Amino acid sequence: MSSPEEKKKRKRMSTTKKKKLLQSLVLPPTPQSTPNPSLPDDLLLSCFSRLSRLYYPTLSLVSKTFQSLLASPELYKTRSSLGRTESCLYVCLKSHPDPIPRWYTLCRKPDKTLTTNEDTMKLKKKSSGYVLAKIPTSHSGPVHWSGLATVGSDIYNIGGPINDDKDPSSRVLIMDSRSNRWREGPSMLVKRRYPVTSVLDGKIYVAGGCKDCSSSSDKSAGFDGKVYIFGGGNGLAYKPREGRWERVGWEMDTSWPWYSYAVIDNVLYQYNGGFKWYDTKVGLWRGLKGVKGLPKFPRYIARLADYGGKMAVFWERVLASTGFKDKMILCAVIALERRNSEEIWGKVEWHDTLLTVSKSCRVDYALATTV
Amino acid sequence: MSESNKKISLISSEGEAFEVSEAVAREFEIVAHMLEDGCSGSSIPITTVDSNILGKVIEYCTKHVEVGNVEGNSEKAEKDLEEFDKRFIAVEMNTLFSLILAANYLNVKGLLNIGCQKVADTIKDMKPEEVRSIFNIENDYTPAEEEVVRKENEWAFQP
Repeated sequence: MSSPEEKKKRKRMSTTKKKKLLQSLVLPPTPQSTPNPSLPDDLLLSCFSRLSRLYYPTLSLVSKTFQSLLASPELYKTRSSLGRTESCLYVCLKSHPDPIPRWYTLCRKPDKTLTTNEDTMKLKKKSSGYVLAKIPTSHSGPVHWSGLATVGSDIYNIGGPINDDKDPSSRVLIMDSRSNRWREGPSMLVKRRYPVTSVLDGKIYVAGGCKDCSSSSDKSAGFDGKVYIFGGGNGLAYKPREGRWERVGWEMDTSWPWYSYAVIDNVLYQYNGGFKWYDTKVGLWRGLKGVKGLPKFPRYIARLADYGGKMAVFWERVLASTGFKDKMILCAVIALERRNSEEIWGKVEWHDTLLTVSKSCRVDYALATTV
Repeated sequence: MSESNKKISLISSEGEAFEVSEAVAREFEIVAHMLEDGCSGSSIPITTVDSNILGKVIEYCTKHVEVGNVEGNSEKAEKDLEEFDKRFIAVEMNTLFSLILAANYLNVKGLLNIGCQKVADTIKDMKPEEVRSIFNIENDYTPAEEEVVRKENEWAFQP
């Protein structure tokens, strides 16, 4: 039995529907007008939860109601109850001299002709169907690539510099990649400038950049039960389980560029003109085998990220066609397979141009969350 | 044995009666609960679902009960059922929405699942305008907001 209240509501809805029809003949839609969906919100959520996040940026453009549903905690509750968690790629772009970065996420372009079928992908080589969508977010504050880390669905922006004077900061900002909103996190005990971060067993380790630090830290990575920190030619590894530090030999440091590396499935990878991984058993860098079809790009612009066990690589190329004023942001996703203790093979799943930006823009950092 | 042979009438919003076995009627969780609560009547009104959609939901449940009763050869049966589901849900959008609404109201989980999945698969490669039209949604972005949205996301609106 429906209550009189409900009946009234239904009646009201049907009259507003009629009114709206009349209105739309004479007036453009007003911001107050409520959408009249064919499915109620809870069922829309049920539909959305069955889609990859790659489709969310386009769906957010349908209406404000869609946009807020797609960023709602309810959606993510439904997704996790259906066991639909996935990795979500984010890119932080900086445009000189603006210290405030812009954040983008990988998404699929609407295109009915596209399928996930590999043969059609090969035929349509020109377009993989991927683009970078700008995320409408409150701003993250200034970002330095080495102070960024992800744990679960959150992106952490840790420490300074916070202004033109390059002051250190103890601030920690956190973006929940479900709602794409930044919030203030608990501060660090000390102020840091250009700290390095790494993640091990779901914990973030921050090193360097404080006033009393004897030398700067260049790079840090957590894998194999240790947090490796390098700076000023010295290498240290911290074993959290034992609470012990140990020295690390130079062979790991050399040829490990401080800008383009990522830990994927407990293995440290880097790009130094070619892809390499660090074999901790014997203490040497080995080449990643089988990677074909990628153009050469300078090592200093490559940005690597752990994309759900695959490697995502971003790089850029200046466009001659616009008089070298613009540049393209490119990306490749490489599937990784460990064949034995000495060999890891990579297979390029796709690579494509994702975005055209002004020349002053660069990819500062790429990282993935799990949602 | 008499239990499984019991027939129940489901009455659509137009008053049309659909006679089904109790096993099929129990696929509607809402009906199963009514029966468990001691509702002994042999006809149950389903006032929010019309004959066309109720007929389809019954067809879906009947097939699933039938396949569920067959023992052995389960792999083939499962494949057949998958094929059935695929054909069953390949309907035009308005029917699909009605099926989802009915499955939600009657609490037929399997049908709700395939219905929502079908909607998801249909809209995923659509442009925002196309999604608006199939959901009968008014664009509630103001012209100024829309301009910003379009400018920042040109890729999504390109022809």
